[in-house]
Amino acid sequence: MIGDHLGDLLSALVDGELSPAQSAAAQAHVARCPSCAAELDDITTARALVRALPALEPPFGFYERILRGDRRQAPAPSRWAWTNRRVAAAAVGSAAAAVVLLGLAPPHDTPVTPPVNALVEAHATGASLGSDPLSRLAPIGVPVTFRR
Amino acid sequence: MADEVTPTWEEIARTYGRFLYSVAYRLTGNSDDAQDLVQETLLRVRKGLGGYRPGSMEGWLSRIATNAFLDDVRRRRRRPLELLPEEPDRITPRARAADADLEAQVLPDDVQAALHRLPPEYRSAVVLSDVVGLSYQEISEALDVPVGTVRSRLHRGRALLKKALA
Repeated sequence: MIGDHLGDLLSALVDGELSPAQSAAAQAHVARCPSCAAELDDITTARALVRALPALEPPFGFYERILRGDRRQAPAPSRWAWTNRRVAAAAVGSAAAAVVLLGLAPPHDTPVTPPVNALVEAHATGASLGSDPLSRLAPIGVPVTFRR
Repeated sequence: MADEVTPTWEEIARTYGRFLYSVAYRLTGNSDDAQDLVQETLLRVRKGLGGYRPGSMEGWLSRIATNAFLDDVRRRRRRPLELLPEEPDRITPRARAADADLEAQVLPDDVQAALHRLPPEYRSAVVLSDVVGLSYQEISEALDVPVGTVRSRLHRGRALLKKALA
């Protein structure tokens, strides 16, 4: 590296990826090479900016939908699947209505058992990890402990 | 994670949902694509495609997510009419600010926008290093490229990022 610019070794330097000997040599080079010193400043700044990016909150209910098996729909093929499912649901609905109207079966609720506790916990855990003011407020809306 | 059992996606969603979504967002640059990427990642987890090894769960998940992301990028590139990502050199620098001020002035949205303009391979290296916090060796294994390639992509990515934000 002597007489040459350091290039990507500068990133290895700030990331602690050089051996002590390499690191000392790189620092000595930077001390007398304004070009490498400027480049080191640049990448150090860029590195810090990305590292400072906040964690992001997924849209409300996102994981709950996935866990429920509601896949997000990919554009082309799934529009069909979605339509078909609606048609199927409508058919089932009409059939059920017909059955009810005919008095052949008593109306009853479809048993649905979403894993509510787990989902609420998941949301509360995610939210409570937040460092931004909004997500710090989020847990206020839910009970703190869950016992089954 | 002490046990050798691949965690269920319920466990992952509960404990790492926010982390995974954040990584996916930094890679893809928008919420819709991030949600698709998270879903694809969880599907790969469920199909056992990730080759789970007990260790850093963040490292394992981000490895699967990044590979799913890059697979998608490559698939799109093979389509004839889609253009390659913009040339790195065409990133237009803004009015120059002093380095010391820059960190204080730049908004996360600006950093995100600059990140999004990086070629996907550079962006992946930057995200795995500076969002996830993996070592060069770990990134090299995750992306299946030599450590020297990781260092080079990461360094170029950072240089372009700084140029875009300056």
